[in-house]
Amino acid sequence: MIVKICIGSSCHLKGSYDVVQGMRDILKKYDVEDLVELQASFCFGQCADGVVMRAEESLDGSEDVFIRGVNKDNVEQKFLSEVYPKLGLPAPEK
Amino acid sequence: MKELFIEYGYVSLNKFGEELCGDKVESVTVDGYTTLVLADGLGSGVKANILSTLSSKILCTMVANNIPIEDCIETMIQTLPVCKVRGVAYSTFSVIHVDASGHGYLFEFDNPQAVYYHEGHCVDFDRKPLDVLGKKVYHSEINLCDGDIVLVMSDGTIHAGIGRVLNFGWDRKDIMEHMDRNIRPEMSARCVAWLLAAACNDLYMDKPGDDTTVAALKMREALHVNLMVGPPVNKENDDYYVAKFMEGDSKKVVCGGTSSQIVARYLGKKVTTSLDFPDKEVPPIGHIDGIDLTTEGVITLRRLLELTEKYISPNDLTPKMFTKQDGASLLAQMLLENATHITFFVGQGVNKAHEGLPIDTTLKLKLIERLASSLKAIGKVVDIHYA
Repeated sequence: MIVKICIGSSCHLKGSYDVVQGMRDILKKYDVEDLVELQASFCFGQCADGVVMRAEESLDGSEDVFIRGVNKDNVEQKFLSEVYPKLGLPAPEK
Repeated sequence: MKELFIEYGYVSLNKFGEELCGDKVESVTVDGYTTLVLADGLGSGVKANILSTLSSKILCTMVANNIPIEDCIETMIQTLPVCKVRGVAYSTFSVIHVDASGHGYLFEFDNPQAVYYHEGHCVDFDRKPLDVLGKKVYHSEINLCDGDIVLVMSDGTIHAGIGRVLNFGWDRKDIMEHMDRNIRPEMSARCVAWLLAAACNDLYMDKPGDDTTVAALKMREALHVNLMVGPPVNKENDDYYVAKFMEGDSKKVVCGGTSSQIVARYLGKKVTTSLDFPDKEVPPIGHIDGIDLTTEGVITLRRLLELTEKYISPNDLTPKMFTKQDGASLLAQMLLENATHITFFVGQGVNKAHEGLPIDTTLKLKLIERLASSLKAIGKVVDIHYA
């Protein structure tokens, strides 16, 4: 599946850079780099709720969704609650 | 046929400890004629600054108005205040006056002999001495071809390093060799001037013993750049606006998320975005097929303005080439180094996305205005269309 991270002006100011770095580390940590492709995108028009990510082409067939209000502290939790379940994998080991 | 363009730029080092430079470069382009004067006033500091400012301004204005050189020099001598210590009124000068096709002349008085960079090598002009009011002034014909550069300089260049890193300094021949080795065809006039001034500053070990100024005038191929920033106020005008932007054989640059969407839709292409952050402070760039450079908007432009204001400062000694791959550096390289003509397409539409953020339309317009005036100040031909 594809996860797009907004790097538009507004999200950039709210910390896209840290979210991008965070997601890179997280994909490595959960060993799902082959399943999730990270991409960047200019503005999604959801600036009030930045940083915004968009999960597309989920592997479990669910619809595309926006993941809002991501920052460097909650990015892992957002990943676990919004992205990981769409990969069609058993729950990650703690 | 190639469209050719005359560009010029200069870099100055102040004598160590001086606030003012005793060298002065004055330039003007009117009716297709470019006039550039480099004057070096006697002494240093305030006195030299006044002498060179007067000389360069007088010469530049008079020569630009096609007044015979004898009259110019006479006016200058009678105007300059006489130095109490030395009992003379004195300032050296080099004057270049060329038309748009690169034909013209050079007059030199007591400055180091100008260097002519032609077909990849530094050579001498074939110069003839003239006697003007008892002063030995050299006259050279100039016929510039594409890529030719004329370098004029104050004597601080050839004195660089004397008694410090070099016993006897370097001479003009060494300067020519240095330039032969280092000038690259894509360098702008300002970059070439920087190349020599920076080398002198190194020889002076960052403490110039004299005011040192290098001015370069280059004949080069024109490069037009169209830069679009911001959506139009009226959405129905999008297509018309983009069509105008896409007209002609120029490089196309789009700054801003919304703008890139509008352009991509018009072209029937997709905007893709890079995830690489060559600079943490600048958002990554994007890509649209058929567009030469796509970047984020206002943050990138703000950084571009910082780079620009540094670049145009005559005392700035950081390299004039931008090799970093972030959006602002790519823009700086294109607008400052490569472009000769820049047309801004500024949409004043309010970006809903930015409500409540420290980004607003007025700020963006101010940024563009400052950017445009800086670009004009270094001799670029700038046009702004508002929509």
